Amino acid sequence: MAPAVGLTLQPERSYLDLLSSLFEEEADYFEVAPETTWIREGDRPFRRNGFFGAFLEIGERAGKPFVAHGVGLSLGTMTEDGARLDRWLEAIAMSQEAFRFLWYTDHLGATVLDGRSLVLPIPIPMTNFAAAAVRERLAAVQAIVPDVGFENTAFPFLLGEPLDEPGFFARILERPRAHLLLDLHNLFTAAVNFGVDPREYLARLDLSRVIEIHVSGGSTNDPEWLPSRRVMRLDSHDGAVPEEVWSLLEETGPRCANLRGVTLERMEGTVERDDVPRLREEMRRIRRILA
Amino acid sequence: MDPHDAHRRFERLLADALLSKDPVEALDGAADAGEILEALGIVRSAIDPDGLRLTGLLVAKLRFERLLRASPEAGKRFEADPREFTRAFRRYHAEVPPTTAEPREEKRLFEAWTETSPS
Repeated sequence: MAPAVGLTLQPERSYLDLLSSLFEEEADYFEVAPETTWIREGDRPFRRNGFFGAFLEIGERAGKPFVAHGVGLSLGTMTEDGARLDRWLEAIAMSQEAFRFLWYTDHLGATVLDGRSLVLPIPIPMTNFAAAAVRERLAAVQAIVPDVGFENTAFPFLLGEPLDEPGFFARILERPRAHLLLDLHNLFTAAVNFGVDPREYLARLDLSRVIEIHVSGGSTNDPEWLPSRRVMRLDSHDGAVPEEVWSLLEETGPRCANLRGVTLERMEGTVERDDVPRLREEMRRIRRILA
Repeated sequence: MDPHDAHRRFERLLADALLSKDPVEALDGAADAGEILEALGIVRSAIDPDGLRLTGLLVAKLRFERLLRASPEAGKRFEADPREFTRAFRRYHAEVPPTTAEPREEKRLFEAWTETSPS
C-alpha cells in the first residue's frame, strides 16, 4: 500500500477555513503540533485551548487520523530538572487520549537551554551523552505514544560536519520503535547554506527507519539582517515546494521501506485564497510520486 | 570535564551567546568557551558566524512575534512608533530572560518589565 498523504493543521482560523476542502478531499491524515492546542501558564498543568477541540472536529468530520509533530518538547535539552518535562508528558498524554496520534515526532535540537526558552531548535553536540539523553526523552514519550521519532532540523549553524549527522542519528535510533522523520526541505536548506551534497547525506542514512517525510517551501533572510549581508535559506514553510525537493522525494520516497506518510507542511499566516489551488496540486503531486 | 558538566556549561554558554547583542562576539569573548567546546569535540571554526548571528535574530524575532500575538497594546505601540518600540523590545529582550514560549506569559513578562523599567 502506498504511504498516506498528510497536511498540517495550524492554529489559525483563516488557515483552517481556507484549506477545509483540502482536509476533506486531499488529506489522508492530519499533522498537529500538540503544543499549539495547549495553554501553558507558569508551573500549572497545561490546559486545552480552543484549537484542541477545533482540530478534533476537523478529524472527526473528515474521518481521518492524526500524527503529532511538536517543536517544544526539546529533545536535546540535556541538563534540566524534570519538572518541565513532566508537565509536557502529562499534556502529551492528555492529547493522546483525544487525538490517538499514530506516531509522535519532534525536532532534533534544543528549544530550551539553561532554563531559557529559545523556541527555535538549536543544534546539540553530536556526543554519545547527547544521543543517550535524546533516547531517554524519546523513551519517556513512548510510554504514551509507542511510535516516536525526531526530525532532521534545518539549523542556521552546525556544531560539526553535516555529513556526520546520519551517524549521530543512528546512535539515537538504536532504540526500538524510534523513527526518523526525514524533512527533505531541511536537507535542501542545509545543501544551500552549507554546501552539503543531499545525495551523499541520504546515502549515509538508514532509510528503513524513516516513518514520515516532510516536504515544504521556504524563503531567505533579508540581507540587511547580517553584517556580511549573506543570504541564507530558512525553513519557513511559507512558499512553494522547490523543484529540488520534489526531485529528492521522487528519488528517496520509494527507497523508504517503512514509510507511512508524506506530509505537506505550511505555516500559519502564509496562506491566502490564491494559494489553495497550488497547495491542492502539491498534495496531488505527492500522491502521484508515491503511487 | 565530565560529560554532564560539559553539556550543562555548553547549554549556558550557547544560551548566553544567542541572547546577547552579538552572538559571535559573545562566544569568542567567553573565557571558558575553548575548554567547553574542546570537551565536546566541537571545533570553534566549524560554527558558522552568520548562522550563529541569524539564529540569535530569529530567537528575538520569534519572541517579538509572540508578544505582539498576545498584546494588542504592544501592537498599537509598535504601529505608532516602530523605531521606539523596537528599541524598547531590544532592551526587554536583553534584560528579561525568555522563560516562556506562551504568548500570554510573554505579554505578562513584558508588562511587568514596562512597569519597572525607566523609559
